[in-house]
Amino acid sequence: MATRTMKERNMSDIKNSQRIVKIVITTLIYVFLIAVAISVLFPFYWMINSSLKSLGEYRLTVPTFFPKKIIWGNYAEAFNAANLGTLFLNTLFVGLVSTALSLVITVLSAFAFARLEFKGKNALFAALLATMMIPGELFTITNYQTVTHLGWLNSYTVLIIPMLVSVFYIYLLRQNFLQIPNELYLAAKVDGTSDLKYLWKVMIPLALPTLISITILKMMGSWNAYIWPRLVANDGAHSLITNGLRNSFTDTSGDVNYPVQMAAVALVSLPLFLVFIFLRKYIMKGVSRSGIKG
Amino acid sequence: MNKFKKFGASFVSLAAIFGMVACGADDYSGEDFISIEDVIAHAKTLSSASGSGDSTEKTATPNFNVPEEGYDGSEVEITFYSTQGSNLKEITDKYIEKFNETYPNIKVTHSSIGGYDDVRDQIKTEIPVKNQPNIAYCYPDHVALYNLSRAVVQLDNLIDSTISDGNGGVLGLTAAQKADFIQGYYDEGRQFGDGLMYSMPYSKSTEVLYYNVEAFNDAGVTVPTHWFTESETDTTSMEYVCEKLKEKYPNDIPLGYDSEANWMITMAEQCGSDYTSATGSHFTFDNTTNKAIAKRFAEWYNKGWVTTQTLYGAYTSGLFIADGSETSPTRSFMSIGSSAGANHQVPAKVDNAYPFTVGITSIPQMCENNKKVISQGPSVCVFKKSNPQEVVASWLLVKYLTTNVAYQAEFGKASGYVPVLKSVAEDATYAAHIANATKGNDYATALAAKVCLEQESAYYTSPAFNGSSMARDQIGKALPKILSGYSGKTNEEVNKFINQTFHEAVVECEQSI
Amino acid sequence: MVEGKNQWKAWIYLLPCLILLLIFTVYPIINTVRMAFLNGYNGMMAVGGEKFSFGVKNFVDVITYKEFLTCLKNTMLLCVITVPVSTLLALLIAVCLNSIKPLNRLLQTIYFIPYVTNSIAIGMVFAAMFNIVGSFFGTPNEIVTTAGIINNIIEAFGGTKVNWINAGSTYAANMTVMVIYIVWNALPFKILILLGGLQSVNKQYYDAAKIDGTSRSRTFWRITVPLLSPMIAYVIITGFIGGFKEYSSIIGIFGETLGPASAPYSLNTMVGYIYRSLSLGNEGKASAAAIILFGIILVVTLIQLYVQKKRVHY
Repeated sequence: MATRTMKERNMSDIKNSQRIVKIVITTLIYVFLIAVAISVLFPFYWMINSSLKSLGEYRLTVPTFFPKKIIWGNYAEAFNAANLGTLFLNTLFVGLVSTALSLVITVLSAFAFARLEFKGKNALFAALLATMMIPGELFTITNYQTVTHLGWLNSYTVLIIPMLVSVFYIYLLRQNFLQIPNELYLAAKVDGTSDLKYLWKVMIPLALPTLISITILKMMGSWNAYIWPRLVANDGAHSLITNGLRNSFTDTSGDVNYPVQMAAVALVSLPLFLVFIFLRKYIMKGVSRSGIKG
Repeated sequence: MNKFKKFGASFVSLAAIFGMVACGADDYSGEDFISIEDVIAHAKTLSSASGSGDSTEKTATPNFNVPEEGYDGSEVEITFYSTQGSNLKEITDKYIEKFNETYPNIKVTHSSIGGYDDVRDQIKTEIPVKNQPNIAYCYPDHVALYNLSRAVVQLDNLIDSTISDGNGGVLGLTAAQKADFIQGYYDEGRQFGDGLMYSMPYSKSTEVLYYNVEAFNDAGVTVPTHWFTESETDTTSMEYVCEKLKEKYPNDIPLGYDSEANWMITMAEQCGSDYTSATGSHFTFDNTTNKAIAKRFAEWYNKGWVTTQTLYGAYTSGLFIADGSETSPTRSFMSIGSSAGANHQVPAKVDNAYPFTVGITSIPQMCENNKKVISQGPSVCVFKKSNPQEVVASWLLVKYLTTNVAYQAEFGKASGYVPVLKSVAEDATYAAHIANATKGNDYATALAAKVCLEQESAYYTSPAFNGSSMARDQIGKALPKILSGYSGKTNEEVNKFINQTFHEAVVECEQSI
Repeated sequence: MVEGKNQWKAWIYLLPCLILLLIFTVYPIINTVRMAFLNGYNGMMAVGGEKFSFGVKNFVDVITYKEFLTCLKNTMLLCVITVPVSTLLALLIAVCLNSIKPLNRLLQTIYFIPYVTNSIAIGMVFAAMFNIVGSFFGTPNEIVTTAGIINNIIEAFGGTKVNWINAGSTYAANMTVMVIYIVWNALPFKILILLGGLQSVNKQYYDAAKIDGTSRSRTFWRITVPLLSPMIAYVIITGFIGGFKEYSSIIGIFGETLGPASAPYSLNTMVGYIYRSLSLGNEGKASAAAIILFGIILVVTLIQLYVQKKRVHY
């Protein structure tokens, strides 16, 4: 009898302690995740904090964690000084056109690599992957010469065409296509469906999340491109947003007005952030579907 | 487990390979350098006339021949790259319009391309496809780079041309125009070893000494005129002033020097020691005088007398204008920086009054008879084009902008840089601007410009060649390395360390070309 | 399969991609190889009419260059340390995030924010956190205005402050800061990929493990890791490729000095070397260094693919 109650008590002790352990672990997990979240948010907070300071306060030896005096005018100045309106439209145009074209090229290539059979397919794909490993800086000089000979300088063409193909996206999408059962394709063949129709009706809808991910990555790429646009389109009319960001906030002696620059950066980041919040679900899905098969 | 072992083993062997190539300071001599007294004694034998090799003798023929008819009035489009901010660009564009009243067929596109390095990188990419601009802002090092492709027009034949400029004058410069340029600035265009003219000075600045007038009074010191204490009664040396200021304000730093490279190069110039040479073995800065100077400055640093931009981690003007409050407790009382940056050396007003008065004077020297200060700021060069008319038109614009007194005055006033022409001083608006120099902190730019103009005979130029930018870069990195590496070493170790640092800097320069 | 018929079709599908690649990728690569084998090739001199002889001098110059080994060592060290650390950390975060319900979406969104935070801001924050504001470190006249947030935290826990990135700091301290910065930068992408992977893992495996009473850590190593292995392999490979190209993060912390003032260039990397050669006009050396770097990345990737074939579960 006595031993039995002991056992029961032990059992409930164990259950209790298990519950305590579980609570402790859950708490630890939250503490850990929130600590990471804070460390991730800190630079973002710093960007906003800096963007609201006066240049004098920004330059203090010991930085302040909250602006003594909030200068909203930095945002207005950023918008006007960098001519952000025009740059915004330029960037949007270049971003949309290059994303659309890039998607077409990526889908066609990924389809060929995933579904069609041809001689040297694997060797070609491996060669494509290898090009990812060469530092892109080396291409710049030669490409500049090429686009000059083509007479493309200071045009939208030069901002869009050379950057269209991304092996990375083809790789991502091919992985996704590979997961769509081959039987569907063969069945479609028997039905006499054309490749293009099959691609349009079956593959694209199934790979939609990945395509959305690629869209967002490509848009962000256009948004953040700096070196190439500055080099090939510096006539003002075709400048993109990052070029405006880096050039416009210096005073006569070449000192950068960082608060205004930060304000401009915050303004520019906003659209990207909103896009992410609205499309988060698709991005997550897209990522989880691709790459499962290595 | 086995995997980790293998990994560890390969890691160890990797580390061993890296360990082998490391080469210690022991390979260098630990003997003392020349004494500072001897350096001073040598410097005293110098006079301004015996400046370092600015050979003006032409050893080659210019690469551009002026077409017989000069500028024929044909329609040409020329491009001009500058780094001017929007307010300066506005002024320039206004004068370009005036230029177009005389030459309506020369269409000028003036683009502002970021900073100086951005202009260089842009042009460097454009030259191979012959897409370079017609005119560009430049520093001598940039011109040396462009010269590798022989893309820069040597201006001599244009300057000397006596044919008509289509506007009642000559195409070239008249004797009066030539003489009006401040000599030191003008000579910068021909320091490329062949005596030919590659660039025209556009607007210039130099380094000046900013000091805190009240702090000087409180510490009982006067403006330092030379660097090193020469006798026990010497109270006008930088060393004496630093020592007194440090005694008075132990938690502050007496002197901030913005540019390490400028410091070393200017010291070499003042001491009459070698830095670089346009011909032969280019990198001659590894010598006992320069090392003795660097060692002495390391002692200063170790005493808490001086800091530099790299060591401080920001423009040292931030220290100079600090108010000693909780958020910026450390101050400096002297700051050596660009005369064009006077605005940044003025403290913010507290309760509508400045916390201290900014005094501006020329930097200390080694010898009064051999004053040397660096010349900075943009020049402009003209690029070759297949159509000679474009080159002549570009020259006309360059001539217009660099010899127009009204433009030089207005641009100088707005930018803080000083005009390159002597006669600008007589221009009414500019003279009025300079006259404000005595009116305190609100007119610091005027005072800086005045100090700058007063030392027009002291400007030196360093040779420019393929690798001269690397020499500047390396000497500018070597000084802070020596300053911060001095502490905790014996005298012999310090000497070895300095020898090693200079030697490695030269090797680095040589490997870069 | 209808092979013969599909041959030309496949090429048509690939045509736009291949044309663009030929012009803007393959041709530059060929040009790079050409420049690498022209002794002392300098683009500006070439325009000026200078002729260069064919040979391997550029490769010899690069390999015998003293700082080259520093660059190689830094690159290797950064890769070897940051890739495993960031992968493990990202995995841990992803698993934790996947195990909670409340705040899940909010945290996911927050973890993505670094993507839209400007790199200048990030670099400045990190420099400010580790930067000791003051002067004369290591000399008798040391002045410390503020030791930086990280040192404040260390001191709050009873430690002594460390000179992380300022003049006189040690290589180990510099490396630590670089590792933290790079890991921090790499986390969002890795979390995204791994979390995506986790969400597609079939819940049944975990239910089965629960019934068996398998411990958490055992579940993690025996179920989660194997099921995620393709994702893990993917982030490791892309991590290595990215790691070998590390450069901008060094600039972010140390600026153009690429090291503390007392040891300039001590943290330079392979791509840093390539950049510097390019900016000096030495395209020949830059190309040779790029080809060497390509070779290294290729070998590492091939080894990883080999290991992956043996280890990764599908």
